[in-house]
Amino acid sequence: MITFNNVYKTFQEKHRTIEAVRDVSLNVKKDTIHGIIGHSGAGKSTLVRLINQLEKHDQGTLEVFDYTDIRRLNKESMRMLRKRIGMVFQHFNLLQSKTVYENVLFPISATGKVTESDRQRAEQLIEDVGLKGNENTYPTKLSGGMKQRVGIARALINDPAILLCDEPTSALDVDTTKHILDLIRKIKENRGLTVVLVTHDMHVIKEVCDAVSVMHDGIVVDDGTLDDILFAATHPITKRLTESIGFNMERIASDYSELPNLTLLRFQGEVTSQKILSTIIKKTGASINILFANITPSKEGLMLISIESSDPEAIKAHLRAKGVEILNDRY
Amino acid sequence: MIGIDEYIQAFNETLYMTFASTVFVGLFGLALGVMLFVYAKGGLRPNKRIYSVLSVLTSIGRSIPFLILIVLLIPVTRIIVGTILGPSAAVPALVVGGIPFYARLVELALFEKGHDLKETGRAFGLTDTRIIIKILIPESLPSLVRGLTVTAIALAGFTSIAGAIGAGGLGDLAYLYGYSRNRPQVTWVATVLIVALILAIQLTGDLTVKKLKKTQ
Ligand SMILES: Nc1ncnc2c1ncn2[C@@H]1O[C@H](COP(=O)(O)OP(=O)(O)OP(=O)(O)O)[C@@H](O)[C@H]1O
Ligand SMILES: [Mg+2]
Repeated sequence: MITFNNVYKTFQEKHRTIEAVRDVSLNVKKDTIHGIIGHSGAGKSTLVRLINQLEKHDQGTLEVFDYTDIRRLNKESMRMLRKRIGMVFQHFNLLQSKTVYENVLFPISATGKVTESDRQRAEQLIEDVGLKGNENTYPTKLSGGMKQRVGIARALINDPAILLCDEPTSALDVDTTKHILDLIRKIKENRGLTVVLVTHDMHVIKEVCDAVSVMHDGIVVDDGTLDDILFAATHPITKRLTESIGFNMERIASDYSELPNLTLLRFQGEVTSQKILSTIIKKTGASINILFANITPSKEGLMLISIESSDPEAIKAHLRAKGVEILNDRY
Repeated sequence: MIGIDEYIQAFNETLYMTFASTVFVGLFGLALGVMLFVYAKGGLRPNKRIYSVLSVLTSIGRSIPFLILIVLLIPVTRIIVGTILGPSAAVPALVVGGIPFYARLVELALFEKGHDLKETGRAFGLTDTRIIIKILIPESLPSLVRGLTVTAIALAGFTSIAGAIGAGGLGDLAYLYGYSRNRPQVTWVATVLIVALILAIQLTGDLTVKKLKKTQ
């Protein structure tokens, strides 16, 4: 859906050049929520703003939809592209002089004729985001969470296939954040939307993302499914981020340090994981203890096990043969 | 003798000069202010060279004392208006003096939320022209009206300077009859009238802004 190939973006300031994005190669899969996380100044915003070309990259290519490099689009095609990509902003960016309804309809009313079906869609969207009855309210009268709901409805009015969210919940409290993230997930599921979500908060990533890219100093230092990032991170930046929400596989493993052969496994689907383990136990007579299992929103299962066997490597070989991935066995 | 008719006529002349110049300043000042914003750093089409030229011209325009501006513009006024006396003859100088004044206020008003609004418009696939017309100006309207109020008041003040050198109006009355012929009461009445006019402008502006903000 979105593919970065060795993309660079530098900003030329008076006395220095800032390399905001450096050699990023990245693939955002269709129908996923792809999180971009990193500390302030890491280049996250710049990265998403490349996707709708609010910033132009200097090097590399950026594939979106069927375009091989969106930098090469002319002005008119660029505007067409932007209409197929919705954007949600940290500070909502609602128009104060317009009502909720007018705001939602704005991307259409500002560029052309509004049809009856546009109006119906706007009303439906307002209902979908839970703001029915607030159509004629002005944004200043709304709470932060409600404003962001308007922002989301507005971003969807052109029926985009991609939704970009730059820190959509950073101006909101914890509960409201949860509701907004739930809404984003629900909308994504109902519409088949590809979402790119920037945040500096690992809780947000854990809550909604399927895939994650970790950025630092303009570089994507880590990249993978949510489980990869949560449980199998090796990069120090990623580790610090997962620790910030209490996910520290090393610490979990150290709780079981007296047990032999701690191994972190990844399964595709949970049912099969039970079956595979019991089969291997039966076959080899080994004893396998499940210490920790986790299922995140993705369909993959992770499991920390301890293998009591005279030949643990043989057990691992069995597991691999069954298609189980061994993420880490060096605790 | 100065009777009520003379006061009314002088008041009308001042009103006319203020109103006519405010209309032109509003239009051209808005245009120049929008251009300043468009070419400024962080604007819609940042361009250092164009911005510098516009900015320097605006600053020069603002710093020429109004009395000198009138004198400088005498040839131009003669061509446009046909005379250098009377209320209409004051309008070109008022407009030229007022445009840079209002343009700066416009630039400032647009700058307030300009960055976010630009981003929003761009993200929705709007052209730059539409971003200005559909987003920037409507969203900045309260600030723009407030700026125009300040400008109109400044222009009303300038009319009295113009009046003193032959444009008519309350300034003319106060200076020519009140001061030169030593009739202080004429000066006082003229002063009260011009203060009343300025208060009326302020009130109108405030009410408009309030009305604009009420819907928000
Ligand atoms: N328009 C610009 N001009 C110059 N420098 C810029 C511009 N935009 C971003 N930068 C710089 O690029 C770097 C990356 O910025 P970016 O906004 O992408 O970071 P971020 O990860 O989104 O940070 P934050 O969490 O603070 O939003 C920073 O050093 C920033 O100062
Ligand atoms: Mg950012």
